[in-house]
Amino acid sequence: MTDDIAARLEPYLANVLGAPDLEIAGLARIPGGASRETYRFRARFNRGGTQIERALILRRDQTTSLIETERATEFRAYRAFHALGLPVPEPIALEESSEVLDRPFFVMEEIENCQVGSILSPDPYGAQREKIGRQFFSNLGRIARANPDEIGLADLEGERDPHLCWRHEVERWEKVIDEDEREPQPIARAALRWLKRNPPPPVQKISVVHGDYRTGNFLYDSDGNMRAILDWEMAHLGNPLEDLGWAIDPLWSHGDPSRPAGTIPREEALAIWEKESGLRLDTAALAWWEIFASLKGLAIWISAAREYGDGRNTDPVNAFSGWYCLAFHNKVLADRLGAA
Amino acid sequence: MKPETDQILMFSAIKLASEYAPLIPTQYGQGMAQVVAALMFMSAQEYERAADIRVSENVDMRALFKFLAPQIADAELRRDMETAAATREESLRISSLNTTNEALRKVLIALHAHLEETGADTKPVWDVLKAMASRRVLSLPG
Repeated sequence: MTDDIAARLEPYLANVLGAPDLEIAGLARIPGGASRETYRFRARFNRGGTQIERALILRRDQTTSLIETERATEFRAYRAFHALGLPVPEPIALEESSEVLDRPFFVMEEIENCQVGSILSPDPYGAQREKIGRQFFSNLGRIARANPDEIGLADLEGERDPHLCWRHEVERWEKVIDEDEREPQPIARAALRWLKRNPPPPVQKISVVHGDYRTGNFLYDSDGNMRAILDWEMAHLGNPLEDLGWAIDPLWSHGDPSRPAGTIPREEALAIWEKESGLRLDTAALAWWEIFASLKGLAIWISAAREYGDGRNTDPVNAFSGWYCLAFHNKVLADRLGAA
Repeated sequence: MKPETDQILMFSAIKLASEYAPLIPTQYGQGMAQVVAALMFMSAQEYERAADIRVSENVDMRALFKFLAPQIADAELRRDMETAAATREESLRISSLNTTNEALRKVLIALHAHLEETGADTKPVWDVLKAMASRRVLSLPG
């Protein structure tokens, strides 16, 4: 199957890169989330008498997707933040038709010699955890600081009214739960009611929200350098505290919620984010967005359970998400909301 | 049956993760095998506790409905609570327990929302929800 993909991708990429002699080698599927198929490969071509070899990544739509995401949004976010100097792979080509590879896809640079932190690992970063943590929260602050109007992302999906963007996000995920729940979810329903009854203060600044900034969605090297922020497919406009609440959610803490993302102490993480974002951290607002983060998690895991349970996408990651992660976030929300 | 199913799943998960997955030639195959091993590890836990979780939840919800029904002014909700409180398990098959559990959860959601709307104490509901959530948490290997 990968031979077929390579053969069909070769002339397409040769045309995009203006390299008629381009050859693809070593195309192989790698883990890359449940919403897109991910492949790595080498593109070899001659330019001006010099033989060039580029390590590239192909991200192709699944036949079904966990959450309906826009590949164009992801591609544009890569382009905008790569240009801004954040550790983001260079996007190469976006193909939205199904003519070339049966489904839409895009191609981007591969960041080599890196690894990704797994939720299954109790300590993925080892001795580098503090160095990685400081970069992790610094880069998130830089995303929050970016002006969507200046980086070409002003038209991303999202609510720009500072008073209403929280409601837009709550309603977005409530719709997912309404459509995908396979059994009644009393904790998710209670959280939705709580979020609506206790709205957060208006947002200080509308930013680009990555949408899934967490352990597992960035690459780091053996020296503890954060080399690539990945998976921008849920990027949208909104409150930057949405990303911060998601990044510090206990699910990604590798068993120690006092060290969000399994890296540095919470207070240090928040101070770094505040400094880099240029925003004042409203702790009451963050508390709301932390509840929202766990509810958003529930919605995503409910959707995963639906995909898996209906047999539409039997990727084992969907079973894991729809079971382990769902149970985890139900516990987080019950403990937080039930403590009042 | 000896060995019991949970033991078979647990030992198979360990074999898959530590011995067989590394033999798979692609990174994608190895990664997915590790996820499948984690699912088998979780399934081993669930085999032992699945019926107990569902029966315990159903018992808790029925007790809550029986306790709170006399205080509920909404006649339709009170009737739903009394009806739900009077149900019994028809079978200990997981599918049957799930059917009952889902019906009880619907009433629980309606009760919780009603208590919030009327400003009544929701602690008894949260106590049940916290117990439900705690019972269903899973451990990961390692």
